Amino acid sequence: MKKLRVLLVDDEIMIREGFKRLFDWESHDCQVVGEAADGKEALTKIDSLQPDIAIMDINIPIMNGLKVIQLARIKHPDMAFVIVSGYDDFAYCREALRLQITDYILKPVNYEEFGTCIDNLKIALFRRQTPRREDAQEERPIQAIARYLQEHLAEDVSLSVLAEEFHLSAQYISQLFKSEIGVNFLAYLTGIRMERARKLLLTTPLSVAEVSEQVGYGDYRVFTKVFKKSEGITPSQYRRDFMDGGQ
Amino acid sequence: MLRMEIALFLVVAFVAYIYFSTEKEPTPLHRTFSLLLIAVLANLALDGATVYTVNHLDTVPELLNSILHRLFLGTMVVVIYLFYQYIAILVEEETGQPRKLDLPARIFLAVAVLGNFLLPLSYTVTPEGNYSSGPYMMVPYGAVAFYLLLCAGLLLANRKKIHRKKRQTMGVALLIEMVVCILQGLNHTWLITGMGSTLMTLSFYLTLENPEVLRAELVEQKLSMLHLKSQVNPHFLYNTLDTIRIQAQLDGNKKVADLLMRLVDFFRISVKVDRAMVTLDDEMELLEAYMELMCYRYPELRCEYDIDPELGDAQVPNFILQPIVENGLLHGLKNMGYRGKVTISAAKTAAGDMEIRVRDTGSGFAEGKKAAIDAMLQDYNKQPAKLTGNSIGILNVQKRIKLLCGRAYGLSYTENETGGVTAHILLPLKEEAK
Repeated sequence: MKKLRVLLVDDEIMIREGFKRLFDWESHDCQVVGEAADGKEALTKIDSLQPDIAIMDINIPIMNGLKVIQLARIKHPDMAFVIVSGYDDFAYCREALRLQITDYILKPVNYEEFGTCIDNLKIALFRRQTPRREDAQEERPIQAIARYLQEHLAEDVSLSVLAEEFHLSAQYISQLFKSEIGVNFLAYLTGIRMERARKLLLTTPLSVAEVSEQVGYGDYRVFTKVFKKSEGITPSQYRRDFMDGGQ
Repeated sequence: MLRMEIALFLVVAFVAYIYFSTEKEPTPLHRTFSLLLIAVLANLALDGATVYTVNHLDTVPELLNSILHRLFLGTMVVVIYLFYQYIAILVEEETGQPRKLDLPARIFLAVAVLGNFLLPLSYTVTPEGNYSSGPYMMVPYGAVAFYLLLCAGLLLANRKKIHRKKRQTMGVALLIEMVVCILQGLNHTWLITGMGSTLMTLSFYLTLENPEVLRAELVEQKLSMLHLKSQVNPHFLYNTLDTIRIQAQLDGNKKVADLLMRLVDFFRISVKVDRAMVTLDDEMELLEAYMELMCYRYPELRCEYDIDPELGDAQVPNFILQPIVENGLLHGLKNMGYRGKVTISAAKTAAGDMEIRVRDTGSGFAEGKKAAIDAMLQDYNKQPAKLTGNSIGILNVQKRIKLLCGRAYGLSYTENETGGVTAHILLPLKEEAK
């Protein structure tokens, strides 16, 4: 899998330095190709460097980050953005979601946990490529597996279950994930489970325990822990934050 | 006519009772007003007595009548002097300039009191009633004229520097006193000087010395200070701390970076005070950030959590745990050199409520302190609204729990058999909507 090209956008040099040097881009198959300190520079660099991902601060000079994303989307519809912001209020979150940002993280950035965010980006990029075809015959194995996982989220799926289902070795499937999506199987599974959980939390009145069950976590304490690690807040807080802001 | 004097006396006595029952800081202004109240009461009592004696010249011995009269008008001079003194102090407080007229005012007082007791006194008898007269009467009229002029002069000279409300109050009070004295001068049988001093005292009391007004002003001042403090842009704080954190991590100091991360967490969560109720998980997150920082500062301090995970979603009043834990640290474990353990546990009670316990291995309650705390938490409603002090944190927690969850819930303390204390927070357990 080819390395993902990353552009860092923040008006503070220390934040850019932190991202550049404190996160292990290499091991996540990424490469920082450029930096920008304001909105205008960010747009120029996006055009000239053609990054796959931009890590964006919202509150930047000349043109704010959301505007940059809006404009960049026109020419680069497949680009992914991660909003990094100290403004943990909902207005930004919602705007970001409307712009189909792939992820949104809050300062202070925990570099050890930033890997999850990159994994999620890779999953999102992979799923964007996946054509939605009914004809399962033409699917590549990884796409078939992804579709299977999507349909069996609530169950106790594992590499061995997949191996049996697809008549492939567990090891081979594991390698497929790494080479085709760039993340390991477990990260992928957790990623799509969390995605479903977020959706259920916001669009259904299901309790946290029920959501937990529907996304394949028998023990809702484990679910809460995993969710908190991936989103930074607990499921109930996540739901409340979005409901409050929506009023 | 005696009825009026009795009524006025009762009114002023009532004001004095309210005034003295609220403990005031002994500022010069409040001291003067206290003296004024006492002088006015004495004046009114003597006023009533002389109203009786002057109209019973034939039955009351002349010496007694004369003594009462001289005392009555003597206190009246003192009252007028205290009015002046009060206004002078107020003007001094408002303008910041020292009082210059005290010496002439005191000399005049001495002269007037002397004259009051030495000048000859006589009585005029009329069909409408009797009144005292003679050269002696120069004293009260002279004193009123002299001090009212001084006051008016003070007000006029400093009118721009005095707060509008205070200026109006004093001006109106002076006007009342002047009108009363002129009426009394025109119609000697009215005997209404007591009315003037009472009205003047009342007007001062209601606008300048009223406990409610004073308290509101104080609280407002304190609150505005707190408000100002909270105006420091939190994002400036987080962002700066975060920059320092990244620098520390770039320099390879992971420990400092982690601590700063926790500090930022703590501030970020604690700034979110807009919500009255939060989940126990949120509350614990704040507490964990706080305890992690404290345990780093005091390495022999330990912290244990035993939270029933099913309670994570339970709603609790915002910001109740950290003040309790902080209280335990400051009053219990600090005395042990911060050597010891804090255990925070949360569990369902048999009755289906939730109990959070904060147990410490600190020094425990000092002699008699337990009873004082119990009483304070029991009578949380009757505690004065003070904004400082040691127990404000736990009192505040108690008040908010009672307000948000109901009177059946709240905070209480027990002593541990093995030393230290345990705070028990009883909260309702509302099932989240399924």
